[in-house]
Amino acid sequence: MKKIICSVFIAAGLFTSCSSDDDNGTNTPLNPTPDVYQFERNGKSSVSYGGQTDRLMMGAELGSALKDPANTQAVLEGMFTNTGNHFENEALNSSSKNIRSKTAASKDYFAANTTESNVYKADFDTWIANQVNEVFSNWNTTASPGVAGKIEEAGGKVRYVNAKGLEYDQAFMKGLIGALVTDQILNNYLSPAVLDEADNREQNDNELLATDKNYTTMEHKWDEAFGYLYGTDNAANPQLGADSFLNKYLGKVDEDEDFSGIADSIYNAFIAGRAAIVNKDYELRDQQVAIIREKISMLIGIRAVYYLQAAKESLGTDPAAAFHDLSEAYGFIYSLRFTRIPGTETPYLSDVEVRDILSELTKNNGFWDVTPATLDQTANAIASKFSFTLEQAATN
Amino acid sequence: MKRSILMFCLALTSLASCSSTDDSDKNTSDGFDRTALLTYTADQRIIPIFKDLQAELTLLESTRAAFENNPNSAQLEQLSAAWLSAYKVWQHLQMYNLGQAATTSLDAERGFRTYFNRYPVDQQRIEELVAAGDYDFEAIPTYNAQGFPGLDFLLHGTSTGDAQAIDKFTSNTLAANYQQYLKNLVAHMQQVNTRLLNDWQNEYRATFINNTQNGQDGSFNQMANDFVFFYEKGFRAEKFGIPAGVFSNQPLPDRVEGLYKKDVSKDLALAALDAIENAFNGKAYQQETEGPAFKQYLEFLDRNDLVQSINQQFEDSREAINQLDDNFYLQVQNNNSQMTQTYDVIQAAVPKLKVDMKQALDFSIDYQDSDGD
Repeated sequence: MKKIICSVFIAAGLFTSCSSDDDNGTNTPLNPTPDVYQFERNGKSSVSYGGQTDRLMMGAELGSALKDPANTQAVLEGMFTNTGNHFENEALNSSSKNIRSKTAASKDYFAANTTESNVYKADFDTWIANQVNEVFSNWNTTASPGVAGKIEEAGGKVRYVNAKGLEYDQAFMKGLIGALVTDQILNNYLSPAVLDEADNREQNDNELLATDKNYTTMEHKWDEAFGYLYGTDNAANPQLGADSFLNKYLGKVDEDEDFSGIADSIYNAFIAGRAAIVNKDYELRDQQVAIIREKISMLIGIRAVYYLQAAKESLGTDPAAAFHDLSEAYGFIYSLRFTRIPGTETPYLSDVEVRDILSELTKNNGFWDVTPATLDQTANAIASKFSFTLEQAATN
Repeated sequence: MKRSILMFCLALTSLASCSSTDDSDKNTSDGFDRTALLTYTADQRIIPIFKDLQAELTLLESTRAAFENNPNSAQLEQLSAAWLSAYKVWQHLQMYNLGQAATTSLDAERGFRTYFNRYPVDQQRIEELVAAGDYDFEAIPTYNAQGFPGLDFLLHGTSTGDAQAIDKFTSNTLAANYQQYLKNLVAHMQQVNTRLLNDWQNEYRATFINNTQNGQDGSFNQMANDFVFFYEKGFRAEKFGIPAGVFSNQPLPDRVEGLYKKDVSKDLALAALDAIENAFNGKAYQQETEGPAFKQYLEFLDRNDLVQSINQQFEDSREAINQLDDNFYLQVQNNNSQMTQTYDVIQAAVPKLKVDMKQALDFSIDYQDSDGD
């Protein structure tokens, strides 16, 4: 009996602890977790991620521009840094945002590692420059080992590759899935270093809103993570495939029966984490972070393996199709360095591991020379870092 | 018996509850004597630094007067040396944006440093003001045209149409205006410093020492904030990160401190690091003795580990900075990776100061460093 009394008191104490209203002695009722990503305060939405939507839209325009040989290097660079008003969508030109400054720029991985960040940024700069100087300039040349140019798939689709068979625009766009989208979500906005920066917890505990805003800073940081994945999608009912970045490939992987449900898991974790912030339950919040880190990292790994295996099938029969798959694989492999093993400060594959794989794939004449054995070996090396098998990832 | 069990249960529950929601106006409960720390900081550091800067500015003024009488290159070199000497002392003061200093300019973030070290300066603005001959150094249009960076341009930069720095005081048609501008600028820096020093000595010292409350407006909280802010913005970002292009899409060599003299950026940065290290360790200004400061406070709370790791970071930073060119303008253009590597070493101390030390000493950070969206 005495034990029971005691535990009741402790339980009561646990319930009241950590809630902001300790002082006035009342228990704030917990807000229920909604079914969709919609949160309100005073009858108005408290969710905001316009900057993320802007960047995804800039990325989409830049992706198209990288395939148009009429564009100069200066134009493409201007789109990357949002200088010079090169977007067709005028709103993007006047936006204060740009993609490049958020490339390899997460707080956890790069705040004290700007030297490496600059190396990544320079990779993207180089891909732009090379696309113009090697590929655009050879637009009408037929590609062959050591010669950049065009190459046609069996189905008639024409691909434009460098001297090693790589499509720079694929390296660029798939690389951004890691260096921009994944890095910003997993290693920046979902990081305690950002969510709990300065007095964010105290302010969130006391519902002190950001200046002139309807959200606390912590709520907003979480929304910004959400925005990098769903920023061009319907937040209340994601359709997936709404961009050419992570949103699209989340849809693709979710269609694979080996991974079906991954999209719901991620979406629900975003909702639960945001609700946890509203309820000032930071432990629950961080549990959702772990889920999102694991699933999004896995998504990148799955697509890297998928494209390597797809390329293996067509390598001997339809090189252009294989090169296209390998170019996608190249970008997804590049992106692995920006993944995050939950509970650690490290990605599933290190910078060195990623660079080794990429140089193996592109040595000598690159994709013209690569063998099915190398592709299997690479795919296995990547799959072994994750909980899925090569076979699961290979099918779609 | 039942009652004692009840009490035990209550004690347990209160232990279980969170301590993060402390009321902001309650006095510190960790037992450390904050009054002693504040008194020591005022008497052994802040006021002596203000006095030293006062002496430096007096010397700067007499050197300037000598130059006005004899505007030749030898006198200009002397004036430049006096400028550098005073500028280095300023590095020790910049982190104390407290009391009147915080509100003495309309630039709320910079406070008194608006009048001493806001850079880059706007050369065109200086030339316009000189030509107009009519300006008020406490009005916003002059904010980018004064302080040590303004003097840097006057003493080392070349005005439009001139061949060298000294021409603006000799052959330039506006030579008299330039002399007057130089004179007024030095005089204004003296005035501001005198005003703030007097306030510290007559009024603010007592206010500062007695304000031991734990909230955002408490003296310790403000001072700790200013210290971390100086490390993060004034030191890390402005002297290294911004010129290295960490916050932009390319390096910005013309944003270095001491842009016109050029070979002094490293000297100034090292002086700032000395200032940071001394403030952390509680070194009395220009003496070897130590008194209560962040280090001693952390040691009191058994956080010698943190003291050691922070001091180690400072040493690593010094080592990295020492490897750099004296001239950051050249450094950034010739080998920017070395500059970003140095920035990375400096950055590594930020979470230690801004998260670990903040939590240990229970002060609150009132600014955000990330731009968000």
